[in-house]
Amino acid sequence: MRVRDEDKVKLVKQKALESIVKEGFEGFSMNKLAKACGISVATLYIYYKDKDDLIISIAKEEGDRMANTLIQNFDPSCSFEEGMRIQWKNRYTYIVENPLANSFFEQLRTSTYQSRFLEDFMKKFKTVISEVMHGVVARGEMKPMPLEVFWSVAYAPLYSLVRFDREGQSIGGKPFKITDQMLWQTFDLVIKGLKN
Amino acid sequence: MENLDHILLFKTDIKSEACRAKLEHILNNHEGISKWNVALDDSDCVLRVISYTLNHQQIIDLINHHGHACCELT
Repeated sequence: MRVRDEDKVKLVKQKALESIVKEGFEGFSMNKLAKACGISVATLYIYYKDKDDLIISIAKEEGDRMANTLIQNFDPSCSFEEGMRIQWKNRYTYIVENPLANSFFEQLRTSTYQSRFLEDFMKKFKTVISEVMHGVVARGEMKPMPLEVFWSVAYAPLYSLVRFDREGQSIGGKPFKITDQMLWQTFDLVIKGLKN
Repeated sequence: MENLDHILLFKTDIKSEACRAKLEHILNNHEGISKWNVALDDSDCVLRVISYTLNHQQIIDLINHHGHACCELT
């Protein structure tokens, strides 16, 4: 009986992320992936229906892992500032510990795979985000606002700092390296802007 | 544990959407075939069939009969 070799599946996932980040979705093929993994194309097709199935499966799996990291130690009933601090910590940790997956998600965002990925991901995640937002508003810690406005103020500054850091330069090509102090300084400003 | 023995893989010359469409009716209505798909973007045009009753040769004969090259993907 053929069985799924979990070590091989792990290797396939790792190599797929590497080559998609390096070559983009267009340069990516099952043949190249099989070669990079040192396995036969047939083995790949046993695990995945086709290239799209492989990409979507990996995105969903990685998305679950990301979602689990993001909600770690997070209690929707804790104070707004505390909850946000944990969210920032979790998001920052995820990006620092998973640079490859993070670059993969950035590529996914501009691809045709994004809608199929989000459909599943947001089902799990949107409930948590809106639950938190409503709790915070109900307790009078924040004024009601559209989810997108909240997200843009709450998290976009974090991702912007991280992008500068990854690119090693900020506006005008100035060398840049993120520090904890900068991260939490930005955080304090975000809280100040959002809190009642 | 998941049993992968019912996945049958073939290298074919089913290169285009039109070729695929011609086979669609035959494969969809074959009682021995549970699921199937062709990777048109693959250089081997891989045909993937899930069947609990058919073997490789039976699928090869079927695909050959409808005018396409087909051999087991190893």
